Amino acid sequence: MELADILGGACPVRQAGPGDDVDGVMPRVVATPGSTEQTAALLRTCHQHRLAVTTRGRGTRLSWGRPPRRLDVVLETTAMDRLVEHAHGDLIATAQAGLPLADLQAVLAEAGQQLLVDDLVGGGTVGGLVATNACGPRRLVPGAPRDLLIGVTMVRADGTVAKAGGKVVKNVAGYDLGKLLCGSYGTLGVVTEATFRLHPLPEATSWVEADVPMAELAGRVAAVRHSQLVPSALEVDAAPADGDGTAADRARVAVMLAGTAGGVRARTESVRGLLGAGAQQTDPRWPFRLPGDDRTAPRTSQEPADRPVLLRMTAALSAVPELVRHATAASVAVRGSAGVGVLHGRLRGSTDPADVADRVQRLRRWCTAHGGSLVVLDAAPHLKQAVDSWGPVGGLPLMRRVKHEFDPAGVLSPGRFVGGI
Amino acid sequence: MTTQAGHPSDPERQASVLRGADPAAEVQAQREPAGAPASRGTVAQVREDLRGLLPEEAVLTDPARLATYECDGLAAYRVTPGLVVLASRPEHVAATVRACARHRVPFVARGSGTGLSGGALPHADGVLVVTSQLRTLHEVSGEDQRAVVDPGVINLQVSQAATPLGYYFAPDPSSQQICSIGGNVAENSGGAHCLKYGFTTNHVLSLDVVTPDGEQVTLGTRAPDAPGYDLIGAFVGSEGTLGVATRATVRLVRLPEDVRTVLAGFDDTDQAGAATSAIIASGIVPAAIEIMDALAIEAAEAAVQCGYPEGAGAVLLVEVDGPTDEVAHELAEVERICREHAAIELRVATEAADRAAIWKGRKSAFAAVGRISPDYIVQDGVVPRTALGQVLRRMSEISAEQGVRVANVFHAGDGNLHPLVLFDGGTEGETERAENVSGMILDLCIEQGGSITGEHGVGSDKARYMPRMFTDEDLDTMQLVRCAFDPDGIANPGKIYPTPRLCGERPGRHQGAHPLQETGVAEIF
Amino acid sequence: MAHHQVRLGIPGVRGADQPAFDSHRPPSPELIDDCVHCGFCLTTCPTYALWGEEMDSPRGRIHLMKTGLEGAPLSESMVGHFDACLGCMACVTSCPSGVQYDRLIEQTRAQVERRYQRSAPDRALRAAIFTLFPYPRRLRVLRGPLRLAQRLGADRALQRSRLLEKLSPQLAAMQSLAPRLGRPERVAEHTPAVGERRAVVGMLTGCVQREFFPGVNAATARVLAAEGCDVVAPAGQGCCGALSTHTGREEEGQRFARAVIDTFTDAGVDYVVVNSAGCGSAMKEYVHLLSDDPGYAERARAFSARVRDFSEIIAELGPVAPRHPVGGTDAQGVPVPVVTAYHDACHLGHAQGIRQQPRALLSAVPGMQLREIPDAEICCGSAGVYNILNPEPARELGDRKAANVAATGAQLLVTANPGCMMQVAQALERAGRPIRMAHTAQVLDASIRGVRVP
Repeated sequence: MELADILGGACPVRQAGPGDDVDGVMPRVVATPGSTEQTAALLRTCHQHRLAVTTRGRGTRLSWGRPPRRLDVVLETTAMDRLVEHAHGDLIATAQAGLPLADLQAVLAEAGQQLLVDDLVGGGTVGGLVATNACGPRRLVPGAPRDLLIGVTMVRADGTVAKAGGKVVKNVAGYDLGKLLCGSYGTLGVVTEATFRLHPLPEATSWVEADVPMAELAGRVAAVRHSQLVPSALEVDAAPADGDGTAADRARVAVMLAGTAGGVRARTESVRGLLGAGAQQTDPRWPFRLPGDDRTAPRTSQEPADRPVLLRMTAALSAVPELVRHATAASVAVRGSAGVGVLHGRLRGSTDPADVADRVQRLRRWCTAHGGSLVVLDAAPHLKQAVDSWGPVGGLPLMRRVKHEFDPAGVLSPGRFVGGI
Repeated sequence: MTTQAGHPSDPERQASVLRGADPAAEVQAQREPAGAPASRGTVAQVREDLRGLLPEEAVLTDPARLATYECDGLAAYRVTPGLVVLASRPEHVAATVRACARHRVPFVARGSGTGLSGGALPHADGVLVVTSQLRTLHEVSGEDQRAVVDPGVINLQVSQAATPLGYYFAPDPSSQQICSIGGNVAENSGGAHCLKYGFTTNHVLSLDVVTPDGEQVTLGTRAPDAPGYDLIGAFVGSEGTLGVATRATVRLVRLPEDVRTVLAGFDDTDQAGAATSAIIASGIVPAAIEIMDALAIEAAEAAVQCGYPEGAGAVLLVEVDGPTDEVAHELAEVERICREHAAIELRVATEAADRAAIWKGRKSAFAAVGRISPDYIVQDGVVPRTALGQVLRRMSEISAEQGVRVANVFHAGDGNLHPLVLFDGGTEGETERAENVSGMILDLCIEQGGSITGEHGVGSDKARYMPRMFTDEDLDTMQLVRCAFDPDGIANPGKIYPTPRLCGERPGRHQGAHPLQETGVAEIF
Repeated sequence: MAHHQVRLGIPGVRGADQPAFDSHRPPSPELIDDCVHCGFCLTTCPTYALWGEEMDSPRGRIHLMKTGLEGAPLSESMVGHFDACLGCMACVTSCPSGVQYDRLIEQTRAQVERRYQRSAPDRALRAAIFTLFPYPRRLRVLRGPLRLAQRLGADRALQRSRLLEKLSPQLAAMQSLAPRLGRPERVAEHTPAVGERRAVVGMLTGCVQREFFPGVNAATARVLAAEGCDVVAPAGQGCCGALSTHTGREEEGQRFARAVIDTFTDAGVDYVVVNSAGCGSAMKEYVHLLSDDPGYAERARAFSARVRDFSEIIAELGPVAPRHPVGGTDAQGVPVPVVTAYHDACHLGHAQGIRQQPRALLSAVPGMQLREIPDAEICCGSAGVYNILNPEPARELGDRKAANVAATGAQLLVTANPGCMMQVAQALERAGRPIRMAHTAQVLDASIRGVRVP
């Protein structure tokens, strides 16, 4: 009996084809459940047969993390793309995992509301947002997706359906499984629905941008951080100098303000003052893109070998300007939130595996010493083999135990996550 | 039943505790997990193990002293702990938990003991680990916008230490002058200002914890987005069932440029509720929106003479903060909306002292109710904000039908209700009626798609309501986390979950590496 | 003045296995019931602040009282936790439920004193304290250089308890303060009002206040007179009984109280004014202390209602005497600022709720710049004779207070209790940050007279 037949009773299933690989690993079939119940039925069967499953939305960040150790089924969420509820008076929305974020935002905008997250890659889904916990510049005030997620429906590896949280913002009944699932890369369960708290769309927004000498970066950033202007974003951007091994000598700083028209106008002026001569009101795109991605057209598919080495670097806030300098000196283009302490990096220069691994390791040591971490989100397959993607992880034995409890058979994306989870 | 005040010496109540008719006894009965090992040791063994590891005076055995730890802020549940350990170093916590793990003796962590769900209710055959002597502020940094603190540090002290630098710690439960950070972490404490600034879970960067096997582990880093599972997200709010926090790195928030507090009197809670909805609908996210009804106002006046508008059937308290221009704009909006909703009096406080005076009435409201009723239950439920009006009307119907007075204090902005169910335990049948009303209110919250607790926690008190809100599968799934952290079920057993999950054998726990670990390690270069 | 000893049939049985409390005024179950265990008292309690232990918090002590009522014996540990309470009443201020801890601890202490067998040295120390402090004439012997100690050494009780050793820091502090606070001035038995008479007030001259801070009494009388009071300070007056009552020596306290009531009743005054916070608070509580005494219950009620703190009466009457700068004036005639920290004595702030009045009176003095002391609600550790009985925690609390006072940058510390004054002065000396100290009355006196603060 074909695998598609075994699983076909649960939901639509097709044979895998080109483009269905997960970071180079080919599945046997692609299943597209249309509901939580179908997802449960599918996983139950997979579990019985110990079939390894990786969940995929639009696949925009599917290559992030490590390639799966084994893979039989790609579970695609795209057929679950409904907005389940938008209670605008309560500022909450429940969406199915496969709903594209852009579609969700469009509906919310009609009611003057938004889910306050940025999709730096573009084209992602609600499920992908939860799985990666990835976000952008506007996390400065409300936090990451994990801070906005208030309820979740998940299907466990064995097909058990469970929910946690609810549809009220304030709720401490039971463990907050939503947070555990955020950024778990699909290794603990399949999220089928998620409920978020929303924010009103501001009456006005503006950006102020300045190009500052590296030596002045720390002072400018600190001035904005310590101001009482409540920026909605505080971004930095710097590219390595051409010559290898020298730090960038300048960086861009961009500050976003949101609020009432009058208030934003006044604060924009104040921020210009803080950023110094040359600061201008602009409408920059770069803060909403990963470093090195200055596309104007929609992203096209990339050859695996061309995938850039994408890093996520964090450090204590006061160390961020120094991290910018340090990273650019290691030929890493950096961009991210100086107000949060999370930067993305794109490694440039040599693609020699040993060299890349060495640079990653040195930069990681620096981040770790400054209270943060470095994760290699993505890289070409041959480089991924050479680097330690996750680095040291506090509480790894506990994480293994969590994984073991949720997925004792190890069928959910085995190997994609920290410590081989 | 939630907080039941007073009558600690009521002979009736004492007797009922002895007879086992008290909920405390129920909790006790639930405490032994079905699958608990038969080989539970004794606190005497733990005490023996601790000899030499902890200072003599850190281990309490004197019955009178032990008795002072028999309850937290929810005095209706009382169990004298078998042993109390006053930890003054993280190592004391670890040593104690390790000894407990060795003998499979339950332990319960306690901070200031101000929780309102019986989360720190001790175990008669267990050890109470008290963290109130772990109270060093290790670091308060404006540069890094963070504070590194011991679990026994008082919430308000963090803000007081950060204020000179221009920062503060955002979660501000009403008990902020007495509750500890460790307790905040365990309960995921919120407060009036979490509407805008979030809960404890949104402000913890890193935690040192002692896991139920006695290991000291650091979760997270001092920056966000640490690699791996968000174990901090699971730990914060786990009510001491996943271990004991021994140090926390928390985020500090910049003090706003301007803060204004509006106090508006209304004829009734309906109008105050309508004004709340209108404020939210206007796109304003105030720092706080609170409503108190006539009974709650009466109590607060009796306690702290807060000078709320006379004759008001409800007061609405709205705080807006942020940049001066925005605050001025929002303040004008709030005032306009309140007037439109027929506010009978409107006051705006600008000075810190005036704001404090307004808040004093609100923050002391729970305990103040003791002035107008011999006993009361503090309920903590959540409904979607848009259901507030309907729920309040239904609550007053229930109150009238049952002949039980209910005072109301609530965080209107996020639909978090704190009905105070008043009764006199000395009058035949009143306690039962009050508990009944209290339960009906929770059912009402669940019906509306809300929650049985917004901030006080499940603890000992509401474990039995969990199945009304969650399915068996939901509860089983949550307890997978419990099994990962605490397979023997010794960390605060009996709390949150009415039925403990039988944890499967944890491979490799005593025999070296887990197979997954081996495979995992093999993948790392 | 003769006062009769009333026997109230107070039981005197002691024993280890007995329930903690007998039926004579045990801690009231109704008052205990008022406690909802919320914990709002914890952080304002000095001993909880020091040790972080539940049984050394108000909530914990109430819990201990409850277990005592339920039949638990008065064990050494239980007594230790009651003894450790400073009686500062910060918990009464912070309690949203209105628990009357002040009454509870007083009831409890009386039971402890009657029913608990203390160790011999402890008994001797207490006996010695109470043969000395409530008696101004005996205290007077201590004035003058410490060599007088030798003369006192003849007192056997003092020798046994090594009281002198324990007292010497206190005596040294009193000695060091006394000269600076002025020459020994006696308050006349009658000081007439200046200008229009607005009230006739009796004045309690106190024990420590009279002997070691006579300048304070003199200033008090002058300010009262300047504000239109006929001041009567009966020569025969004795101790108000505050120290005894607050330490559980109920009968002794009652004896003193009856005498004071008699004295001032005979004087025929509108108010009885007190410039020592601890005394004033005790006198306002005579109503409870003597509630079971058929001969005095009513009189005590009437008396307590007439008791006023010094700053309370001035604020009540409304100050009329013109104020002048106390730090002098500069060349342009502008008052030179005097940066001043005001320390709330616990028995004034917490026990009597008097906080605003002294601040208002001080602020009205030209040039006065008032600073608030951080953690003002926490006791300085003096607490009557607490610092003699429990020197270690008292010292630690004194050091904390000194650090907070020093943090204000004040040149002058004003407070309204002799105990606080000695305690804080000592602590500031220890910290190497001595500053000038004065009683509210002395500042107002200087201001009215147009001289500098002593």
